[in-house]
Amino acid sequence: MPCEKYSGWMTDAALGELRAEREPELLAHAMECDACREALSHARAVHDFVDRGVESLVAGEPSPHFATNLRRRIAQESESRRSRWMAWAPVLASALALAVVLAIMVARISRHAGATPNGVSDLESNPGPADAVIASIGNPHDADQTARPRDRGRSARTRAAITALPEIMVPRGQLSAAAQLSAAISSGRVDGNQLLAVQRESERPLEVKPIEIAPLEFSALADATE
Amino acid sequence: MDALAASFPGSAVSRDESLARDFEQRLADCPKLAYRVALGVLHNPAEAEDVAQEAMLRAYRNFYRLRDRERFRGWLVRSTFRLALDRIRAKGRRDRHEHDATRAALNAQPEASVETLVASREFERQVAQALDALPEKLRIVMVLAAIEGYNTREVAKLAGLPEGTVKSRLFLARKKLAESLQCLVKNTPAG
Repeated sequence: MPCEKYSGWMTDAALGELRAEREPELLAHAMECDACREALSHARAVHDFVDRGVESLVAGEPSPHFATNLRRRIAQESESRRSRWMAWAPVLASALALAVVLAIMVARISRHAGATPNGVSDLESNPGPADAVIASIGNPHDADQTARPRDRGRSARTRAAITALPEIMVPRGQLSAAAQLSAAISSGRVDGNQLLAVQRESERPLEVKPIEIAPLEFSALADATE
Repeated sequence: MDALAASFPGSAVSRDESLARDFEQRLADCPKLAYRVALGVLHNPAEAEDVAQEAMLRAYRNFYRLRDRERFRGWLVRSTFRLALDRIRAKGRRDRHEHDATRAALNAQPEASVETLVASREFERQVAQALDALPEKLRIVMVLAAIEGYNTREVAKLAGLPEGTVKSRLFLARKKLAESLQCLVKNTPAG
C-alpha cells in the first residue's frame, strides 16, 4: 500500500530534510490521497508549532538591573579575593621570616661541622709523602696484608726495627718504601725532621706578588726603531 | 572600559587593561545570550538571570585562561548550559501531578487551533516538559537553534560541534519533540 511508504517520509518533509528526488513523489501522492495530504499538513503544523514553542521558551530579555548586578558581583568577587590574600599576609610573612632564620642557622651549623671532617677526609683521601713516612711507622701487620708477595720478605726484615713505634695505617703499595725510609730514619742515615720541614715547605701556599712593569718610553722606542 | 576598570579595584582586570577591554566588550553583548540559554533550560526568568550571572562571573574569573577570545561565546554558552542543568538537578524533579493535570486539561480542548495553543501558557509548559525530556546533547542544539534563529553553522560554532552533527541532532530533536507534542494538536486544523 503506497500510503504506508509515504507515512515514513512525512516527518522528513515537514522538517525540510526529505531527499530532493522524493519530494515531488510525495507531493504528487498527497494531491491524490486525502488522508496523506491531511497527514502531511498535520506534520508540518506540528513541527511549526514545536519550533515556535521552543522559540517562545527562549524569548525574553534580562532585566534592566542585570548588568548592574553583574558588575556589583564582579566587584565583590575581586574584593573578596583581595581580602582573602590580605588575611593570609601575616601568616605568609611569619613563615617567610621563620624560613630565613632557619636557613641562616643551617648555614652556620654546616660551616662549623664542615671544617674538621673535611680536613680529615682530605688527609685520608690524598696521603702525601710525609703521611707515608708517618704511616710506615704504623701497624706492619695490616699493611703487610695489602703488600705484594715479593715485598713480604723485605717488610719482614724491617718489621723488627719498627715494632716499638705507634700503629698507623699505610697507603696501599707504599709499605716497602715507607719501611725502608723508616729504617733509614731510625738508623740516623736520614734526618726525619729535615724531611718533615721540606714537606711542610712544599705544602705552604704560594704567595702571589704583583709585578711592576715600567711604562714604555717613546724615546726608547724611537731609539730601538732607528 | 573605564567604568569597568573602576568597578574592579585591585583585580586582575585593573592590572591588564587589554583584558579588561576585551571582557567589557563581552559584557556588552553576551549576557543576553547566556540568559536565553539558561531560560531555555530553566524556563524561569529569575533563575535564568541568576544562572546567567553566575556564568558571566565564571567567565570573568577564567577569562585570562582563554587563549582564543573568538571562542568566548561558545565557551559561555556551554558553561551556562551546564550551570543551568546543575541548577535543575539541585532543585530535583518537578511536580508531576501538575503536568499531568495540564495535559488532561489540554486534551479536553478538542477544537483548539495551533495559534490558540501556542499562545497558551499551558502549551508553553508542555513544550518545556518535552524539551526537558530530550537528551542533553539534543537539547542544547535545539535551544541554540531557537535563539535568534541561529543557523546550523552558528549553532555548530557555539556548541563546539561539527556542522553535520548539529544538523542530525537538530533533526532528531525536532522529531522527538514533535512525537511528544503530537497529541496536543491531534485534532486541530493547521495554521
